[in-house]
Amino acid sequence: MPINILIVLSSFSFREILIPVAILGGIALVMGLLIALISRLFSVKTDELQVEVMSALPQANCGACGFTGCEGYAKWLASGGQDMGKCPVGGPSLPITLGKILGVVAQASQPPVAHVMCKGTNENTSKRYEYTGTKTCASAHAVFSGPNSCTYGCIGFGDCVEACQFDAIDIVGGIAVINELKCKSCEKCVPACPKKLIFMIPKNHKTYKVECRNHWPGGETRKHCKIGCIACQRCVKVCPTLAIHMDNNLAVIDPEKCINCGKCFEVCPTKSISTPENIYMHL
Amino acid sequence: MKEMFIILFSVIFVDNFVLSKFLGICPFLGVSKKLNTAMGMSMAVILVMGMSSAITYPINTFLLVPNGLEYLRTIVFILVIAALVQSIETIIKKLLPPLYDALGVYLPLITTNCAVLGVVLLNISNSLSFWGSVVNGVGAGIGFMLAMVLFAGVRARLEKADVPKFLRGLPITLIAASIVSVSFMGFKGIIEKLFA
Repeated sequence: MPINILIVLSSFSFREILIPVAILGGIALVMGLLIALISRLFSVKTDELQVEVMSALPQANCGACGFTGCEGYAKWLASGGQDMGKCPVGGPSLPITLGKILGVVAQASQPPVAHVMCKGTNENTSKRYEYTGTKTCASAHAVFSGPNSCTYGCIGFGDCVEACQFDAIDIVGGIAVINELKCKSCEKCVPACPKKLIFMIPKNHKTYKVECRNHWPGGETRKHCKIGCIACQRCVKVCPTLAIHMDNNLAVIDPEKCINCGKCFEVCPTKSISTPENIYMHL
Repeated sequence: MKEMFIILFSVIFVDNFVLSKFLGICPFLGVSKKLNTAMGMSMAVILVMGMSSAITYPINTFLLVPNGLEYLRTIVFILVIAALVQSIETIIKKLLPPLYDALGVYLPLITTNCAVLGVVLLNISNSLSFWGSVVNGVGAGIGFMLAMVLFAGVRARLEKADVPKFLRGLPITLIAASIVSVSFMGFKGIIEKLFA
Protein backbone atom coordinates (compact mmCIF):
# COMPACT_ATOMS: atom_id res chain seq x y z
CA MET A 1 0.00 0.00 0.00
CA PRO A 2 2.58 2.63 0.95
CA ILE A 3 4.58 1.83 -2.17
CA ASN A 4 1.54 2.56 -4.42
CA ILE A 5 1.06 5.92 -2.75
CA LEU A 6 4.74 6.75 -3.18
CA ILE A 7 4.57 5.90 -6.87
CA VAL A 8 1.51 8.12 -7.37
CA LEU A 9 3.03 10.95 -5.40
CA SER A 10 6.31 10.88 -7.27
CA SER A 11 4.51 11.20 -10.63
CA PHE A 12 3.62 14.81 -9.77
CA SER A 13 6.34 17.28 -10.36
CA PHE A 14 6.98 19.35 -7.28
CA ARG A 15 6.51 22.52 -9.31
CA GLU A 16 2.96 21.56 -10.31
CA ILE A 17 1.84 21.42 -6.70
CA LEU A 18 3.89 24.27 -5.30
CA ILE A 19 2.81 27.00 -7.69
CA PRO A 20 -1.00 26.64 -7.31
CA VAL A 21 -0.63 26.31 -3.54
CA ALA A 22 1.55 29.39 -3.45
CA ILE A 23 -0.81 31.41 -5.62
CA LEU A 24 -3.95 30.38 -3.74
CA GLY A 25 -2.22 30.84 -0.40
CA GLY A 26 -0.85 34.19 -1.48
CA ILE A 27 -4.24 35.49 -2.56
CA ALA A 28 -5.82 34.24 0.67
CA LEU A 29 -3.12 35.97 2.70
CA VAL A 30 -3.52 39.27 0.85
CA MET A 31 -7.30 39.17 1.22
CA GLY A 32 -7.00 38.31 4.90
CA LEU A 33 -4.69 41.26 5.49
CA LEU A 34 -7.05 43.52 3.56
CA ILE A 35 -9.98 42.54 5.76
CA ALA A 36 -7.92 42.98 8.91
CA LEU A 37 -6.72 46.42 7.78
CA ILE A 38 -10.17 47.64 6.86
CA SER A 39 -11.76 46.43 10.08
CA ARG A 40 -9.04 48.32 11.97
CA LEU A 41 -9.46 51.54 9.98
CA PHE A 42 -13.24 51.49 9.97
CA SER A 43 -13.94 50.18 13.45
CA VAL A 44 -17.12 51.37 15.12
CA LYS A 45 -17.26 51.89 18.87
CA THR A 46 -19.54 49.13 20.08
CA ASP A 47 -21.98 49.57 22.89
CA GLU A 48 -20.81 47.11 25.56
CA LEU A 49 -24.30 46.35 26.70
CA GLN A 50 -25.30 45.56 23.13
CA VAL A 51 -22.36 43.17 22.81
CA GLU A 52 -23.36 41.40 26.03
CA VAL A 53 -27.00 41.10 24.94
CA MET A 54 -25.88 39.86 21.53
CA SER A 55 -23.81 37.07 23.08
CA ALA A 56 -26.91 35.81 24.94
CA LEU A 57 -29.02 35.60 21.77
CA PRO A 58 -29.15 32.35 19.77
CA GLN A 59 -27.40 33.84 16.66
CA ALA A 60 -29.96 32.25 14.34
CA ASN A 61 -30.65 35.55 12.51
CA CYS A 62 -34.11 34.28 11.63
CA GLY A 63 -35.92 37.60 12.01
CA ALA A 64 -38.82 36.13 14.01
CA CYS A 65 -38.40 38.96 16.52
CA GLY A 66 -39.18 41.44 13.78
CA PHE A 67 -35.72 43.00 13.66
CA THR A 68 -32.95 42.56 11.07
CA GLY A 69 -31.08 39.65 12.60
CA CYS A 70 -30.02 39.11 16.21
CA GLU A 71 -27.89 42.28 16.09
CA GLY A 72 -31.02 44.34 15.42
CA TYR A 73 -32.81 42.91 18.45
CA ALA A 74 -29.71 43.34 20.61
CA LYS A 75 -29.42 46.99 19.57
CA TRP A 76 -33.07 47.65 20.36
CA LEU A 77 -32.83 46.01 23.78
CA ALA A 78 -29.62 47.85 24.62
CA SER A 79 -31.20 51.21 23.73
CA GLY A 80 -34.25 50.75 25.90
CA GLY A 81 -36.50 48.22 24.21
CA GLN A 82 -38.64 46.59 26.82
CA ASP A 83 -39.91 43.32 25.41
CA MET A 84 -37.47 40.54 26.28
CA GLY A 85 -39.76 37.77 25.10
CA LYS A 86 -39.50 38.44 21.36
CA CYS A 87 -37.15 35.59 20.54
CA PRO A 88 -38.90 32.22 20.10
CA VAL A 89 -35.64 30.43 19.29
CA GLY A 90 -34.08 31.31 22.63
CA GLY A 91 -36.55 29.25 24.58
CA PRO A 92 -38.25 30.08 27.89
CA SER A 93 -34.97 30.75 29.71
CA LEU A 94 -33.85 33.56 27.37
CA PRO A 95 -36.00 36.40 28.81
CA ILE A 96 -34.63 35.64 32.29
CA THR A 97 -31.03 35.74 31.01
CA LEU A 98 -31.71 38.97 29.16
CA GLY A 99 -33.33 40.41 32.27
CA LYS A 100 -30.16 39.73 34.25
CA ILE A 101 -27.99 41.41 31.60
CA LEU A 102 -30.23 44.43 31.22
CA GLY A 103 -30.87 44.76 34.93
CA VAL A 104 -34.61 44.64 34.42
CA VAL A 105 -36.98 42.29 36.16
CA ALA A 106 -38.76 40.28 33.48
CA GLN A 107 -42.39 40.91 34.28
CA ALA A 108 -45.38 39.04 33.02
CA SER A 109 -46.89 41.03 30.17
CA GLN A 110 -50.14 42.72 31.04
CA PRO A 111 -53.09 42.75 28.66
CA PRO A 112 -53.20 45.72 26.30
CA VAL A 113 -55.60 48.64 26.76
CA ALA A 114 -57.80 50.27 24.16
CA HIS A 115 -57.05 53.71 22.73
CA VAL A 116 -58.96 55.94 20.31
CA MET A 117 -56.59 57.18 17.61
CA CYS A 118 -58.21 60.50 16.86
CA LYS A 119 -57.86 64.03 18.25
CA GLY A 120 -60.37 65.64 15.92
CA THR A 121 -62.40 67.46 18.54
CA ASN A 122 -65.05 70.06 17.72
CA GLU A 123 -62.29 72.66 17.90
CA ASN A 124 -60.01 70.93 15.41
CA THR A 125 -62.66 69.99 12.83
CA SER A 126 -65.84 71.50 11.43
CA LYS A 127 -69.18 70.13 10.28
CA ARG A 128 -69.94 69.60 6.60
CA TYR A 129 -73.67 69.31 7.07
CA GLU A 130 -76.22 69.27 9.82
CA TYR A 131 -77.02 65.70 10.74
CA THR A 132 -80.53 65.16 12.08
CA GLY A 133 -80.73 61.39 11.95
CA THR A 134 -80.38 58.76 14.69
CA LYS A 135 -77.57 59.72 17.00
CA THR A 136 -75.41 56.62 16.63
CA CYS A 137 -71.99 56.48 14.96
CA ALA A 138 -73.01 53.63 12.67
CA SER A 139 -76.03 55.55 11.35
CA ALA A 140 -74.13 58.78 10.87
CA HIS A 141 -71.30 56.91 9.14
CA ALA A 142 -73.84 55.46 6.69
CA VAL A 143 -74.79 58.99 5.59
CA PHE A 144 -71.75 60.06 3.47
CA SER A 145 -69.29 58.98 6.17
CA GLY A 146 -70.65 61.26 8.87
CA PRO A 147 -71.05 65.03 9.33
CA ASN A 148 -67.44 65.84 10.33
CA SER A 149 -65.05 67.62 7.99
CA CYS A 150 -62.68 64.69 8.45
CA THR A 151 -64.37 61.52 7.23
CA TYR A 152 -61.75 59.31 8.87
CA GLY A 153 -62.21 60.82 12.32
CA CYS A 154 -64.34 60.15 15.36
CA ILE A 155 -68.04 60.98 14.96
CA GLY A 156 -68.62 61.22 18.68
CA PHE A 157 -72.09 59.76 19.06
CA GLY A 158 -70.79 57.10 21.44
CA ASP A 159 -71.25 53.63 19.92
CA CYS A 160 -68.08 52.69 21.78
CA VAL A 161 -69.45 54.16 25.03
CA GLU A 162 -72.49 51.89 24.62
CA ALA A 163 -70.26 48.87 23.97
CA CYS A 164 -68.12 49.38 27.06
CA GLN A 165 -69.64 47.72 30.13
CA PHE A 166 -66.94 49.11 32.45
CA ASP A 167 -67.75 52.76 31.88
CA ALA A 168 -64.24 53.44 30.65
CA ILE A 169 -65.12 55.64 27.65
CA ASP A 170 -66.36 59.25 27.66
CA ILE A 171 -67.23 61.73 24.92
CA VAL A 172 -65.18 64.86 25.52
CA GLY A 173 -65.13 67.77 23.09
CA GLY A 174 -66.99 65.71 20.48
CA ILE A 175 -64.66 62.70 20.40
CA ALA A 176 -64.41 59.47 22.38
CA VAL A 177 -61.67 59.26 25.02
CA ILE A 178 -60.80 56.01 26.81
CA ASN A 179 -59.73 55.97 30.46
CA GLU A 180 -56.84 53.50 30.51
CA LEU A 181 -57.17 52.91 34.24
CA LYS A 182 -60.72 51.63 33.84
CA CYS A 183 -60.15 49.65 30.64
CA LYS A 184 -60.39 45.90 31.22
CA SER A 185 -59.06 44.87 27.77
CA CYS A 186 -62.26 43.10 26.73
CA GLU A 187 -61.90 44.69 23.24
CA LYS A 188 -65.68 45.06 22.77
CA CYS A 189 -65.24 48.72 21.76
CA VAL A 190 -62.94 47.85 18.86
CA PRO A 191 -65.61 46.45 16.48
CA ALA A 192 -68.15 49.00 17.72
CA CYS A 193 -66.36 51.89 16.01
CA PRO A 194 -67.43 52.18 12.34
CA LYS A 195 -64.29 54.21 11.56
CA LYS A 196 -62.01 51.54 13.09
CA LEU A 197 -60.28 54.11 15.28
CA ILE A 198 -59.79 52.01 18.39
CA PHE A 199 -56.52 50.12 18.77
CA MET A 200 -55.08 48.03 21.58
CA ILE A 201 -51.78 49.35 22.93
CA PRO A 202 -49.50 47.77 25.59
CA LYS A 203 -50.40 48.68 29.16
CA ASN A 204 -47.18 48.54 31.15
CA HIS A 205 -45.01 49.62 28.23
CA LYS A 206 -45.70 53.26 27.47
CA THR A 207 -45.60 54.27 23.83
CA TYR A 208 -45.95 57.39 21.71
CA LYS A 209 -48.95 57.34 19.38
CA VAL A 210 -49.98 58.98 16.14
CA GLU A 211 -53.53 59.91 17.08
CA CYS A 212 -54.85 60.14 13.56
CA ARG A 213 -56.07 57.69 10.95
CA ASN A 214 -56.51 59.80 7.84
CA HIS A 215 -54.96 58.68 4.56
CA TRP A 216 -55.10 62.02 2.80
CA PRO A 217 -51.96 63.77 1.58
CA GLY A 218 -50.86 66.78 3.63
CA GLY A 219 -52.62 69.48 1.66
CA GLU A 220 -55.98 67.71 1.81
CA THR A 221 -55.64 66.95 5.53
CA ARG A 222 -55.05 70.60 6.38
CA LYS A 223 -58.41 71.49 4.90
CA HIS A 224 -60.29 69.10 7.16
CA CYS A 225 -58.53 68.92 10.51
CA LYS A 226 -56.04 71.16 12.33
CA ILE A 227 -54.34 68.33 14.16
CA GLY A 228 -54.19 65.56 11.56
CA CYS A 229 -51.16 63.68 10.22
CA ILE A 230 -49.90 65.40 7.06
CA ALA A 231 -47.44 62.63 6.10
CA CYS A 232 -44.42 64.94 6.22
CA GLN A 233 -42.38 61.88 7.39
CA ARG A 234 -40.22 63.90 9.81
CA CYS A 235 -41.06 61.37 12.53
CA VAL A 236 -40.06 58.44 10.33
CA LYS A 237 -36.65 59.97 9.71
CA VAL A 238 -35.92 60.89 13.31
CA CYS A 239 -36.96 57.65 15.04
CA PRO A 240 -33.83 55.84 16.32
CA THR A 241 -35.43 52.39 16.35
CA LEU A 242 -37.22 52.70 12.98
CA ALA A 243 -40.50 52.16 14.84
CA ILE A 244 -42.47 54.45 12.53
CA HIS A 245 -43.56 53.52 9.03
CA MET A 246 -45.82 55.18 6.51
CA ASP A 247 -49.10 53.52 5.60
CA ASN A 248 -50.56 55.41 2.64
CA ASN A 249 -49.99 58.99 3.85
CA LEU A 250 -50.34 58.09 7.52
CA ALA A 251 -47.53 57.61 10.04
CA VAL A 252 -47.93 54.55 12.25
CA ILE A 253 -45.85 53.90 15.37
CA ASP A 254 -45.22 50.28 16.32
CA PRO A 255 -45.72 50.25 20.13
CA GLU A 256 -43.47 47.19 20.48
CA LYS A 257 -40.52 49.08 18.97
CA CYS A 258 -41.07 52.48 20.59
CA ILE A 259 -38.45 53.30 23.25
CA ASN A 260 -40.16 56.48 24.47
CA CYS A 261 -37.44 58.89 23.43
CA GLY A 262 -39.97 61.51 22.29
CA LYS A 263 -38.07 62.66 19.19
CA CYS A 264 -41.11 62.11 16.97
CA PHE A 265 -43.25 64.26 19.27
CA GLU A 266 -40.71 67.09 19.04
CA VAL A 267 -40.62 67.20 15.25
CA CYS A 268 -44.32 66.67 14.49
CA PRO A 269 -45.54 69.97 12.98
CA THR A 270 -49.26 69.40 13.56
CA LYS A 271 -48.84 67.78 16.99
CA SER A 272 -50.66 64.74 15.68
CA ILE A 273 -48.35 62.55 17.79
CA SER A 274 -49.19 62.22 21.47
CA THR A 275 -46.97 61.39 24.41
CA PRO A 276 -47.78 58.36 26.56
CA GLU A 277 -49.05 60.57 29.39
CA ASN A 278 -50.87 63.04 27.16
CA ILE A 279 -54.21 61.28 27.29
CA TYR A 280 -56.45 64.18 28.18
CA MET A 281 -54.21 67.11 27.36
CA HIS A 282 -55.34 67.53 23.76
CA LEU A 283 -58.76 68.75 24.80
CA MET B 1 -16.77 53.22 -27.08
CA LYS B 2 -19.61 51.77 -29.11
CA GLU B 3 -18.61 48.33 -27.87
CA MET B 4 -18.93 49.50 -24.26
CA PHE B 5 -22.36 50.88 -24.97
CA ILE B 6 -23.45 47.59 -26.55
CA ILE B 7 -22.18 45.66 -23.53
CA LEU B 8 -24.00 48.02 -21.16
CA PHE B 9 -27.27 47.98 -23.07
CA SER B 10 -27.33 44.22 -23.48
CA VAL B 11 -26.52 43.38 -19.86
CA ILE B 12 -29.13 45.80 -18.54
CA PHE B 13 -32.03 45.06 -20.86
CA VAL B 14 -31.51 42.14 -23.21
CA ASP B 15 -29.60 39.76 -20.96
CA ASN B 16 -30.80 41.07 -17.62
CA PHE B 17 -29.18 39.00 -14.89
CA VAL B 18 -32.36 38.46 -12.91
CA LEU B 19 -35.02 38.41 -15.58
CA SER B 20 -33.23 36.71 -18.46
CA LYS B 21 -30.43 34.72 -16.85
CA PHE B 22 -32.36 33.92 -13.62
CA LEU B 23 -29.35 34.59 -11.40
CA GLY B 24 -29.65 36.29 -8.03
CA ILE B 25 -33.26 35.29 -7.42
CA CYS B 26 -32.75 35.06 -3.63
CA PRO B 27 -32.15 38.76 -2.99
CA PHE B 28 -34.56 39.63 -5.82
CA LEU B 29 -37.44 37.98 -3.97
CA GLY B 30 -36.17 38.66 -0.49
CA VAL B 31 -35.38 42.37 -0.57
CA SER B 32 -37.79 43.71 -3.20
CA LYS B 33 -40.65 44.17 -0.74
CA LYS B 34 -39.72 47.69 0.28
CA LEU B 35 -38.35 50.22 -2.19
CA ASN B 36 -35.69 51.71 0.08
CA THR B 37 -34.13 48.36 1.04
CA ALA B 38 -34.31 47.33 -2.62
CA MET B 39 -32.35 50.45 -3.61
CA GLY B 40 -29.79 49.93 -0.83
CA MET B 41 -29.26 46.31 -1.78
CA SER B 42 -28.92 47.20 -5.48
CA MET B 43 -26.30 49.85 -4.71
CA ALA B 44 -24.32 47.30 -2.72
CA VAL B 45 -24.60 44.77 -5.57
CA ILE B 46 -23.46 47.33 -8.20
CA LEU B 47 -20.44 48.16 -6.07
CA VAL B 48 -19.55 44.51 -5.42
CA MET B 49 -20.02 43.46 -9.04
CA GLY B 50 -17.98 46.36 -10.41
CA MET B 51 -15.13 45.91 -7.98
CA SER B 52 -15.09 42.11 -8.34
CA SER B 53 -14.88 42.43 -12.12
CA ALA B 54 -12.01 44.89 -11.79
CA ILE B 55 -10.05 42.75 -9.34
CA THR B 56 -10.67 39.32 -10.86
CA TYR B 57 -9.61 40.36 -14.38
CA PRO B 58 -5.92 40.95 -13.53
CA ILE B 59 -5.86 37.91 -11.24
CA ASN B 60 -7.14 35.75 -14.06
CA THR B 61 -4.99 37.26 -16.82
CA PHE B 62 -1.69 37.55 -14.94
CA LEU B 63 -1.81 34.83 -12.31
CA LEU B 64 -4.10 32.01 -13.35
CA VAL B 65 -3.88 31.74 -17.13
CA PRO B 66 -0.04 32.00 -17.50
CA ASN B 67 0.35 29.20 -14.96
CA GLY B 68 -2.37 27.02 -16.44
CA LEU B 69 -4.49 27.29 -13.32
CA GLU B 70 -7.89 27.85 -14.92
CA TYR B 71 -9.30 25.11 -12.70
CA LEU B 72 -8.70 27.34 -9.67
CA ARG B 73 -10.88 30.09 -11.11
CA THR B 74 -14.04 29.37 -9.13
CA ILE B 75 -12.41 29.09 -5.73
CA VAL B 76 -10.14 32.10 -6.20
CA PHE B 77 -13.03 34.27 -7.37
CA ILE B 78 -15.18 33.24 -4.44
CA LEU B 79 -12.30 34.16 -2.12
CA VAL B 80 -11.97 37.60 -3.67
CA ILE B 81 -15.72 38.27 -3.61
CA ALA B 82 -16.05 37.15 0.02
CA ALA B 83 -13.21 39.42 1.12
CA LEU B 84 -14.66 42.34 -0.85
CA VAL B 85 -18.13 41.98 0.66
CA GLN B 86 -16.70 41.71 4.18
CA SER B 87 -14.74 44.91 3.61
CA ILE B 88 -17.75 46.73 2.16
CA GLU B 89 -19.86 45.63 5.13
CA THR B 90 -17.29 47.04 7.57
CA ILE B 91 -17.07 50.30 5.64
CA ILE B 92 -20.84 50.72 5.43
CA LYS B 93 -21.17 50.00 9.16
CA LYS B 94 -18.86 52.91 9.89
CA LEU B 95 -19.87 55.42 7.25
CA LEU B 96 -23.60 54.79 6.72
CA PRO B 97 -25.10 53.29 9.91
CA PRO B 98 -28.78 53.65 8.84
CA LEU B 99 -28.06 51.67 5.67
CA TYR B 100 -26.29 49.04 7.76
CA ASP B 101 -29.31 48.81 10.07
CA ALA B 102 -31.61 48.36 7.11
CA LEU B 103 -29.74 45.58 5.33
CA GLY B 104 -26.89 44.45 7.58
CA VAL B 105 -27.94 40.81 7.44
CA TYR B 106 -28.29 40.77 3.67
CA LEU B 107 -24.74 41.89 2.84
CA PRO B 108 -23.10 38.53 3.59
CA LEU B 109 -25.82 36.96 1.43
CA ILE B 110 -24.38 38.81 -1.56
CA THR B 111 -21.21 36.76 -1.11
CA THR B 112 -22.91 33.50 -1.96
CA ASN B 113 -25.05 35.18 -4.56
CA CYS B 114 -24.69 33.34 -7.83
CA ALA B 115 -25.18 36.59 -9.72
CA VAL B 116 -21.87 38.01 -8.51
CA LEU B 117 -19.89 34.86 -9.29
CA GLY B 118 -21.86 34.61 -12.52
CA VAL B 119 -20.82 38.04 -13.74
CA VAL B 120 -17.10 37.47 -13.13
CA LEU B 121 -17.16 34.07 -14.82
CA LEU B 122 -19.17 35.45 -17.76
CA ASN B 123 -16.62 38.23 -18.21
CA ILE B 124 -14.06 35.54 -18.91
CA SER B 125 -16.19 33.26 -21.04
CA ASN B 126 -17.12 36.26 -23.20
CA SER B 127 -13.42 37.20 -23.44
CA LEU B 128 -14.01 40.80 -22.44
CA SER B 129 -11.22 43.33 -22.02
CA PHE B 130 -10.53 44.94 -18.64
CA TRP B 131 -12.83 47.89 -19.18
CA GLY B 132 -15.32 45.62 -20.89
CA SER B 133 -15.38 43.49 -17.74
CA VAL B 134 -15.86 46.48 -15.47
CA VAL B 135 -18.64 47.89 -17.64
CA ASN B 136 -20.25 44.45 -17.74
CA GLY B 137 -20.03 44.19 -13.94
CA VAL B 138 -21.46 47.62 -13.26
CA GLY B 139 -24.07 47.11 -15.96
CA ALA B 140 -25.13 43.79 -14.46
CA GLY B 141 -25.60 45.59 -11.14
CA ILE B 142 -27.64 48.31 -12.83
CA GLY B 143 -29.78 45.64 -14.51
CA PHE B 144 -30.23 44.03 -11.11
CA MET B 145 -31.32 47.39 -9.70
CA LEU B 146 -33.76 47.91 -12.55
CA ALA B 147 -35.33 44.50 -11.98
CA MET B 148 -35.57 45.04 -8.20
CA VAL B 149 -37.08 48.52 -8.42
CA LEU B 150 -39.60 47.43 -11.05
CA PHE B 151 -40.56 44.42 -9.01
CA ALA B 152 -40.85 46.45 -5.81
CA GLY B 153 -43.47 48.52 -7.62
CA VAL B 154 -45.26 45.39 -8.81
CA ARG B 155 -45.27 43.99 -5.29
CA ALA B 156 -46.65 47.22 -3.88
CA ARG B 157 -49.58 46.87 -6.29
CA LEU B 158 -49.96 43.19 -5.39
CA GLU B 159 -50.43 44.10 -1.72
CA LYS B 160 -53.59 46.01 -2.54
CA ALA B 161 -54.90 43.59 -5.17
CA ASP B 162 -57.57 41.00 -4.50
CA VAL B 163 -55.54 37.79 -4.81
CA PRO B 164 -57.28 34.40 -4.61
CA LYS B 165 -56.53 32.70 -1.32
CA PHE B 166 -54.56 29.77 -2.75
CA LEU B 167 -52.19 32.15 -4.56
CA ARG B 168 -51.48 34.59 -1.75
CA GLY B 169 -47.89 35.18 -0.71
CA LEU B 170 -45.12 33.35 -2.56
CA PRO B 171 -47.18 31.84 -5.44
CA ILE B 172 -48.48 35.13 -6.79
CA THR B 173 -45.06 36.73 -6.30
CA LEU B 174 -43.40 34.08 -8.44
CA ILE B 175 -46.11 34.35 -11.09
CA ALA B 176 -45.68 38.13 -11.19
CA ALA B 177 -41.91 37.73 -11.46
CA SER B 178 -42.28 35.38 -14.41
CA ILE B 179 -44.63 37.80 -16.17
CA VAL B 180 -42.11 40.63 -15.72
CA SER B 181 -39.45 38.29 -17.10
CA VAL B 182 -41.60 37.54 -20.17
CA SER B 183 -42.06 41.27 -20.74
CA PHE B 184 -38.28 41.70 -20.87
CA MET B 185 -38.16 39.15 -23.67
CA GLY B 186 -39.40 41.99 -25.82
CA PHE B 187 -35.84 43.31 -25.85
CA LYS B 188 -34.45 40.27 -27.63
CA GLY B 189 -33.01 41.00 -31.03
CA ILE B 190 -32.66 44.73 -30.36
CA ILE B 191 -28.87 44.61 -30.23
CA GLU B 192 -28.55 43.02 -33.66
CA LYS B 193 -31.10 45.30 -35.29
CA LEU B 194 -30.04 48.53 -33.63
CA PHE B 195 -26.27 48.33 -33.70
CA ALA B 196 -25.45 45.98 -36.54
